[in-house]
Amino acid sequence: METRPLGDTGQDSTVVTFGTIALNWLEQEGADQLVEHVLDYGVNHFDVAPTYGDAELKLGPKLRQHREEIFLGCKTQQRDYEGAWGMLERSLDRLGVDSIDLYQVHGLEYDDELDEITGDDGALRAFREARAEGLIDHIGLTSHSEPALVLDAIDRIDDLDSLMFPLNPVVAAKDDGDHDYEAVLDRAHAADIGTLGIKAFAAGSWPDTDDLPEADRPFANWYRPVTAPDEIRRRFDFAASQGLTSVVSVGDPKLVTMILEAAADYEEMDEAAQRSLIERVRHDDSPVPEQLHH
Amino acid sequence: MAVPSTVTTALADRPVEGRRCLEAGAGVGNATAGLLDAGAERVYAVTNDRAHARTTRERVADDDTRSDRLAVLESDLRTLALSDDSIELITAHGLCNVLDPAALSAVAATFRRVAAPGCHLVIDDYAPLPATASVRELFAVENAAAELATGGPALTFYPPDAIRRCFVGGGWSFDRERTLLDPVPWTADHLSAHAAAARDHAAGCPGDLGDRLATRADRLATAIGSESAGRMYSLAFRLSA
Repeated sequence: METRPLGDTGQDSTVVTFGTIALNWLEQEGADQLVEHVLDYGVNHFDVAPTYGDAELKLGPKLRQHREEIFLGCKTQQRDYEGAWGMLERSLDRLGVDSIDLYQVHGLEYDDELDEITGDDGALRAFREARAEGLIDHIGLTSHSEPALVLDAIDRIDDLDSLMFPLNPVVAAKDDGDHDYEAVLDRAHAADIGTLGIKAFAAGSWPDTDDLPEADRPFANWYRPVTAPDEIRRRFDFAASQGLTSVVSVGDPKLVTMILEAAADYEEMDEAAQRSLIERVRHDDSPVPEQLHH
Repeated sequence: MAVPSTVTTALADRPVEGRRCLEAGAGVGNATAGLLDAGAERVYAVTNDRAHARTTRERVADDDTRSDRLAVLESDLRTLALSDDSIELITAHGLCNVLDPAALSAVAATFRRVAAPGCHLVIDDYAPLPATASVRELFAVENAAAELATGGPALTFYPPDAIRRCFVGGGWSFDRERTLLDPVPWTADHLSAHAAAARDHAAGCPGDLGDRLATRADRLATAIGSESAGRMYSLAFRLSA
């Protein structure tokens, strides 16, 4: 499987990252099998978080068995020094490993959070101490929030090694500042920061729970995913063609194999095909239904 | 509403800034918005469809920096009342497929007349669909209804070479061709709009033929749902200065 440099970390990550939240929906035996399956495809970058149910615990046994083959990313939603230290120690304990390769500020959403994280008593001080002690190797940040906030974070965190953010044709079709993740990608490249794409396979939101109760959703994703093999392949090729280091797989284990297949067969998507995908979703979302052309 | 990437891609290598532009066949204002965003000094957006004229006006109405530079003209392009040699850049984004050969020839003559020396011309349109495309049948029904009702087709997909020869023969120099979409995403909204157009034409057909064509168009649009097929191209030309 193709690998790409994760910024200037020295890590070459496979073009797909295994989102281990998928393990949360499986019993331990099935989780072990899925990890072996993912490794059989040559995937070397895994991502986990303490908020993904039991994913840390279920990843643990196979992670320990294959520790040298796996570049492990983990995260914390704690914003203060004590909280971040506590959550890091908890994750190390639940995963059963001595160190985490990439530790990420998880889900940055607001300006005041960035102030707190970068402050004297903020999470980043804990991250840096942990790095000095060898408990983590690299520092990253994840966000679904406004691109401007992520750009601000790049400016304010000078030892940032990776960014994780949404990138798909729906996002690319919107040209307002709230969806300008291309600017984030450009800045990350300029600063030699690794980039991890999420929501590459999002088709849209789930219907309101009055119409479709959460228990009746057919997939264990935050969002309604694309599910047809050809569409998953197109979405993967689109995301990987934007220049991301790696595309993170979806949360539902039923879709993981199709994504691995797409990643194994990845071919760069030419620009006309990328525009085709963007136009398709843009028209699906269009308030002007009477138009006859593109 | 975002300017579609088809428009931005077609205009990306054209000198729009500071130019007097004609958008021929304004549609819902996509190319008009693209020209204004790219810094056109003035855009004459021409359409013979009152609803499209309104949509194009409304699209930029909340932005003085754009609306001040826009004039929407409700006019037939063949008899357009713009001065000779007055336009510095012409765009026809998705126009030619709704022109039959005679209309295309007449519109080409208008372009040549209003074009100032050094004028640029951008023509974006669809290549003929591959034989395997299901949407061909829907477009065939739309054309059949239009032929019976009006004596001409609703849609003509010209090969890029045919458009190129038409305009080079009219005095333009060919500049470049690029692919805007491959494949073209014919969404449920597009198919529904084409079925509606077929129904409109069918209403003017004699006897019960119209009803049958209208029903066929609706069934096809529903059965196909959506399809990605064919290619959209962009051709650029210019006049010598």
